[in-house]
Amino acid sequence: MNSAPNQHAMGMLIRKLESIATLSKKERQAIERLPVRIHNLDARQDIVRDGDQPTHCCLILDGWACRYKLLSEGKRQIFSFHVAGDIPDLQSLHIQTMDHGLTTLTNAVVAFIPHESLRELTARHPGLAAVFWRDTLIDAGIFREWLISMGRRSAFEHVAHLFCELYLKLQAVGLAGDHRCPLPITQTDIADALGLTPVHVNRVLQEMRGRTLITLRSQMLVIQAWDELLQVSEFDPTYLQLEKRAAR
Amino acid sequence: MTLRLQPVQVATGSYDVDGQLVFADGLLVAVLVRLSDDHNDLAGMWFLEAGFGRVVTTELALFADIDKAQSWIEQRLAHAA
Repeated sequence: MNSAPNQHAMGMLIRKLESIATLSKKERQAIERLPVRIHNLDARQDIVRDGDQPTHCCLILDGWACRYKLLSEGKRQIFSFHVAGDIPDLQSLHIQTMDHGLTTLTNAVVAFIPHESLRELTARHPGLAAVFWRDTLIDAGIFREWLISMGRRSAFEHVAHLFCELYLKLQAVGLAGDHRCPLPITQTDIADALGLTPVHVNRVLQEMRGRTLITLRSQMLVIQAWDELLQVSEFDPTYLQLEKRAAR
Repeated sequence: MTLRLQPVQVATGSYDVDGQLVFADGLLVAVLVRLSDDHNDLAGMWFLEAGFGRVVTTELALFADIDKAQSWIEQRLAHAA
């Protein structure tokens, strides 16, 4: 299947980039002209594996994905969750060999963008190169927050922090509102991301429900006490560097 | 080495309160907790709530019954010897 421009797909990328930066009309048009190949993937399907040398980047159009690494005895560490508009393997544009894997967590639709086209785009539009750079810097900021949670937050605070982050990220690209957001991942996924056991995650979720901070039903997270959740996890959204932040 | 169990109630902040202290040669090596019905598929299983020394692990240690939990703890301690 050949690559071809796809306005809908690139609309997702533009929406994401405009959540963290301002794009000019010319830059938006250049993105819209990027050739892509669309793929439908099943849940739990690898997109890129540890050690691969991909020739394209993967833009998520629908569904959830995560970066991860496998350790011995089946242990898995998830580094980040990704939703529509994200390019989780953007680093492969400048770092040849993947040092982790990228997999879908749900059924997903993705668009592969050839490295060559992205290189041409960023060479012609240095403003866009800066926006992609900004995105990877924000990514690093998110890693710092995850590190703080991993090392210094209790399980309860850690889960609360993750929920605040996911809600704001989804809201920024129009996938959440009114303190409700989709959460189509399992307790084991959450545990693997937070370095907890599923038993601890389940206990935390029960306690959050018991304190009427959240409800979690049919893969929909409803945050009933946003301010309290922010407070308990000492959540400061500055690190997400969102241009338009509506939630408070 | 012989393991000795002592029933205990554990404040896990959940309904998982029924536990066993596990001693090896008189020293506390682990705290096991029986998972409550809140855990759906995992209800009734024994969970390593805390391990000490060689019994410390970052993996999920879940056992269908208390004997399996004890065997696992014995194995960990045997490696230390």
